[in-house]
Amino acid sequence: MKNFNNNGFKEMTSKHYQFQYVFKVLLGICMIIFAIPLWAEIEQEQEQAIHAPVNQLHETLINIMENADSASFQERYALMEAVITENFKTPLIAKVVLSRYWKSLDENTQTDFIDLFNRLTISTYVNRFDSFNGESFKNLSIEPMKKNRVMVKTEFVQPDDKPVSFNYIVQNYNGQWKIISVIANGINDLSLKRAEYSSVIKARGFDVLVASMEEKISDLQPK
Amino acid sequence: MIGCRFSSLSKHLIFIGILSIATGCATTQTSEGVGDPDPFEPANRVFFDVNETLDKHLLKPIAEAYVEITPVVVRTSVTNFFDNLTYLNVILNAFLQGKFDQGLSDMTRFIFNSTVGIAGLFDVATPMGLPEHDEDFGQTLAVWGVDKGSYLYIPLLGPNTARDTTDFVPSTLLNPFFYVSNALLFPVSALNTINSRANLLEASDLRDEAAIDPYAFTREAHLQQREYLIYDGNPPIIGYDDIFSENGDNESGVLIIE
Repeated sequence: MKNFNNNGFKEMTSKHYQFQYVFKVLLGICMIIFAIPLWAEIEQEQEQAIHAPVNQLHETLINIMENADSASFQERYALMEAVITENFKTPLIAKVVLSRYWKSLDENTQTDFIDLFNRLTISTYVNRFDSFNGESFKNLSIEPMKKNRVMVKTEFVQPDDKPVSFNYIVQNYNGQWKIISVIANGINDLSLKRAEYSSVIKARGFDVLVASMEEKISDLQPK
Repeated sequence: MIGCRFSSLSKHLIFIGILSIATGCATTQTSEGVGDPDPFEPANRVFFDVNETLDKHLLKPIAEAYVEITPVVVRTSVTNFFDNLTYLNVILNAFLQGKFDQGLSDMTRFIFNSTVGIAGLFDVATPMGLPEHDEDFGQTLAVWGVDKGSYLYIPLLGPNTARDTTDFVPSTLLNPFFYVSNALLFPVSALNTINSRANLLEASDLRDEAAIDPYAFTREAHLQQREYLIYDGNPPIIGYDDIFSENGDNESGVLIIE
């Protein structure tokens, strides 16, 4: 009896554990089944948030291209200004572009430089995206970078020419993604300007750089 | 027109190796090499100014006149013809870099364009799914691990690097036109130069419009464009991170990638 009892107990315990085990496995499977779409949804939302600044920029660029003839330079400038102010981290870009010279400037000069850099960026976009022939932008992929940065890869599709690769480095600032660098066909605008500006400052000083940038902005206005 | 303007930006960067004119600048985020990429800057700037002056007063006006009087289809065929002549070098370097599929595709491309395409005047291969590639011996050496060396602005030829100058030998020897030694040589070479410059008119205008220091702009654009070509349009992302590093620049203000 003792043995029987023992065996019966063991059997019952073993069945109990088996049941628990099966239950846990089933629960795990259910959780995975429910979690996959949830996780996918979170990932999709994250992707949308990352793409948001780039998509807004692209929509505005197509908009100003389509309206190059009907809207004035100032009107198109206002559209670009809104989208760039919202989606570019211009203070960081201006700081990186000035590199080690940034620290030598007082706060007011830094603020003025951010404004100047912003005006040059907007004017350049409005000037370059000045007509429309059926072009479009296409999102390709998102690739992780260091810290809270990612690279958004896209291309500018042209009906009669090869596509131009447009990649953006975007960074997360308290949940909002901002563009901090634009790379067109492998040419990084940030390092291009950084090299150029440091060369001008080194040879002719910061004031000459500022004057040259003002002159460029003036040249980019319609005559 | 913006489409044209941006495609010309890329051409502008590709053309840099071809022509005497150009663009220019300082730093590069590159995975190879650390240090000042332009130790010969004073001399390079002198050559740059000479080339720019020659271009402004001689080559550019001729190229503009050529565009005025020549229909687009003719210019496209001239471009196709000269591109095809340089293609044996592309094929060789694809194989040297271990890109066998690409090398075979390029070989087929060359055969079709040279025959059906009438000596390369018509690009019949691209619509057949045999796209044009861009390879040279400088890129091959980079793939083999050779550092780019110093940036050089070569009189008449434009921006280059110590490593990339080696391409002169295979590209010359593999160009069938090198073996032509009759009276045709000079006018055909002149046509090549003028046509190449004409293809870059919009690009050079774009540079003039954007650059605050054209020399520095050209150098930076050239070095970045080479990196882009070496990695066939897909350079490692890691290089782009370093510009945000606080310690990313050296005494000369030139960005260093570590």
